[in-house]
Amino acid sequence: MNAPLIWIGLPLALAGVLLLIRNARLVSILGSTAAIILTGLAWFLPLDTVITLGSYAFKVAPSFSILGRSLTVGAGDQGILALFYGMAAMWFFGALATPNGRPIVSLGMAVIALLVASLAVEPFLYAALLIEIALLLCVPMLVPFDSPPQRGVLRFLIHQTLAMPFILFSGWMLAGVEASPGDLNLVIQAGALLGLGFAFLLAVFPLYAWIPQISEESHPYAAAFILFIFPMTALLFLMGFIDRFAWLRANPNLPGILTSAGLLMVVSGGLWAAFQRDLGRMMGYGAVIETGLALLAIGQYQAAGVSIFALLIVPRGLGMATWSLSLSRLKSEAGSLRFSAVQGMLRAYPSAAVGVALSHLSLLGMPLLAGFPPRLALWEALARQSAVSAGWYAIGMVGLLIGLIRTLAVLSMAPDNTPWRWQDTWLQRVLIGFGLLGMLTFGLFPQTLQPLLARLPLVFEFLGR
Amino acid sequence: MFVLITFLLLLVTAVSITILHFARPGRPYSWLVAGGGTFMAWISVFFWQLDMPALHSLPPWKPEFIFTTSPTLLVDGLSWPYALSLVTLALALILTSIIRKPFPDMLGWAGTLAMTAMGLIAVLADNPLTLVLGWAAIDMVELTTTLRSVNGAEVSEKAVIAFAVRLTGLGIVLWASMASLSSGVPLNFETPTALISPYLLIAAGLRLGVLPLHLPYSNEPALRRGFGTMLRLVSAASSLVLLARVQIGNADSPLTPVLLTLTAIAALFGGWQWLRASDELTGRPFWIIGMGSLAVGAALRSNPVGSVAWGVALILVSSVLFLYTVRQTWLTRLLLINLIGLSALPFTSTASGWLTNQGIFGLFWLAFIPAQAMLMAGFVRHIRQPSVTSLTSQPRWTQVIYPAGLLLPILIHSMLALWGWDGAFNSGTWSAGLAASVLAFGIYWLVRKTRIFSPRQAHWVRPRGQSTIERFYGSFWGLYKLAGRASAAIANALEGDGGMVWIILVLVLFISLLGQAGG
Repeated sequence: MNAPLIWIGLPLALAGVLLLIRNARLVSILGSTAAIILTGLAWFLPLDTVITLGSYAFKVAPSFSILGRSLTVGAGDQGILALFYGMAAMWFFGALATPNGRPIVSLGMAVIALLVASLAVEPFLYAALLIEIALLLCVPMLVPFDSPPQRGVLRFLIHQTLAMPFILFSGWMLAGVEASPGDLNLVIQAGALLGLGFAFLLAVFPLYAWIPQISEESHPYAAAFILFIFPMTALLFLMGFIDRFAWLRANPNLPGILTSAGLLMVVSGGLWAAFQRDLGRMMGYGAVIETGLALLAIGQYQAAGVSIFALLIVPRGLGMATWSLSLSRLKSEAGSLRFSAVQGMLRAYPSAAVGVALSHLSLLGMPLLAGFPPRLALWEALARQSAVSAGWYAIGMVGLLIGLIRTLAVLSMAPDNTPWRWQDTWLQRVLIGFGLLGMLTFGLFPQTLQPLLARLPLVFEFLGR
Repeated sequence: MFVLITFLLLLVTAVSITILHFARPGRPYSWLVAGGGTFMAWISVFFWQLDMPALHSLPPWKPEFIFTTSPTLLVDGLSWPYALSLVTLALALILTSIIRKPFPDMLGWAGTLAMTAMGLIAVLADNPLTLVLGWAAIDMVELTTTLRSVNGAEVSEKAVIAFAVRLTGLGIVLWASMASLSSGVPLNFETPTALISPYLLIAAGLRLGVLPLHLPYSNEPALRRGFGTMLRLVSAASSLVLLARVQIGNADSPLTPVLLTLTAIAALFGGWQWLRASDELTGRPFWIIGMGSLAVGAALRSNPVGSVAWGVALILVSSVLFLYTVRQTWLTRLLLINLIGLSALPFTSTASGWLTNQGIFGLFWLAFIPAQAMLMAGFVRHIRQPSVTSLTSQPRWTQVIYPAGLLLPILIHSMLALWGWDGAFNSGTWSAGLAASVLAFGIYWLVRKTRIFSPRQAHWVRPRGQSTIERFYGSFWGLYKLAGRASAAIANALEGDGGMVWIILVLVLFISLLGQAGG
């Protein structure tokens, strides 16, 4: 038995089986149960150690070779695996209450397995190809089989695909840089290509036009799943690069570049969010800001950045899942998420409206909610460096606050004498309620994430040490 | 230790009443549970005096290298009067609820107790982190309750705007913390720098509706008595405590006269509107603005003790005024004792409100003293208004408990005047107190004799045009729409058919700019 088979092979096989099952509820339950088991295994199963069960002894090998390449899942990676599958379990369970949950679970399981493989493959350049396959699998999640693809999905594919040649080419050049680090031209060229590749992959400004588009056009839950899982993988991939190459890590300009890119995303995302008139697009800009925050955290890698980055992940997943689940409900009733369509829906769908509002508040960094502790830590780290950076961060958040106020006002502005009616289903209320409970728990007691924070930096050899 | 007991009593009682509400709805004995639990919590607050000052750390946030501070509560001479006032308000509210409809209002009582606990967290906050956690909890409960109880699009929008204003105040405290950190000093309440103090003052002023002047809740017909009173006063107390905690005033700062002018305008506006309001509930937002302005003014004059005096008066006098529904002449006369607490005469609880009368601050008396006088005259006018039902028509036992609930805040107010906080019992600035009192009597006489002070029609029962304040703030809407059109144009360009070309163009420009900056 080996680790890649457990966390990559088995989920891929299961995804195939789930695709064949027609019952959406069963698919959700099976998918989330499998994800929970994989999370438990990632957390508790020791790798490369003889395990004795009665008379039976076995060892889980960390590597697996295929077509001359190897997939390696070390003990240090188990925190990441637990995070991936733990978050997947949450998303798949939430799919129970969404109209098109089946493809999200079956294809989502395959996507996660491929993204795990992209982090485990050696030579690591092959990660780009695995990510590309995962991207293609996302298309059926975003576009129903009987509909033509919309502009946002095409843009998503184009932008993400454009990232691949840049990363592959820079990877080829990086080998040269390793051999002759004194060649400044080569270093600059490799760095520029790498930067462009990650700019496309992470949808850094101005390359994120597709994000609000797919958030508006596609099913909110599917869009949010993609907007959570891909940037998270890309960010881990970026950190892997920084960790692997000493010349990159030691580059004095890198923290500044990452911080500038992060601030650009936070500020531009916040300012655009302030003027949106569609709740789906608002969530899209929220995802842009989340990626910006993660870049800001990585930019602090010489300080506590890796821990802050790790602390951002769970609130992001929880917030996006609750937000999109709530939006799914509103969209299925109103037909659209434009302000004119959802006005006054707080009185008919209180759980969904509260879910939207609190997820937005968590993204904003409202005290008491899950987003607050990591944002506070990040803002403090920025303020220690420069008041100007902290000020730009605040401007982004002000934009987001304006977006929130408009959202809240629109949702609550029902005509006179509109009665309160609880039209959300029980399942939706329970799932959204769990999301909100999680947000409050992590917002009041961020120390509950401490075990995860202790394990995540182990993935990297140099960062976070 | 006693602090935890108080919290425990409040929360256990709140949970018990909620369970009773679902298990045994409508049972009057739930009032005994609510009253008993609150009474014990109230008694426990007095025991805090045995161990003061005391610091209570809540579970620390980890990892420590990321989180430099953790939630911590501080019981000291400045926070204790506010805490006692809040628990007294809760007890008064439950005691007087026996003659309010609906009875039993079990969820309202549970909410009152939970709100009191949140208010206690805010008033006991030892650092900005704890304060913003308390504020956030209060704001969220306030928004939820308001949205649940109001009816109509316009009123809902106003509730959301009020929430936004409060969030902005909260954000300003966080920004103050960052500004302090960037100058190398982590913010705490003991040592705010001159740079940070104005931020904290503006944050508190914004949440009170004083700086800049605005009306957080001009329309709130559904949230009249009971829980509505609790909501407004807890919110006000949680903001006022910041003024007491931080040494805000600085005579040398060029900002101080400006802020004092704005505060004086808010005080006069609040006092005038309160005086002319058709009834005490319609005038409540103005009363809070007026009294809040006096507290902010005291803080600006480097008189944190004075701000506590006005803050405590706001809570305790309001407890009587807004819970006094069924009226009786003898009781009204008794409740007029509150005027002493508002007068700032020597050895009253507000005696320290006018201390530090030196330099430029003396000039502002010309605005603040008339404002105080109008608030006092308005108090007399509103409390003397008759009610529809009389106390004698109520059951016998309620005729004892209801007045006790109203007299309790007066008793506590008098007690606090003696030993509420360091420097509470003093002669103050007798001339200011005397001037305000004489002026208040004069204004009250004029109210009875002339039409100029005749009450405004209640604005929540008739359609009304935009006020000057609303028109002023509405002018920003035009700017916002202009910026919105610009943002839409850019987004359309990036997302349209030619979007990729635009993106590549922006990228090239960006790279060339970076190249220039680097080279």
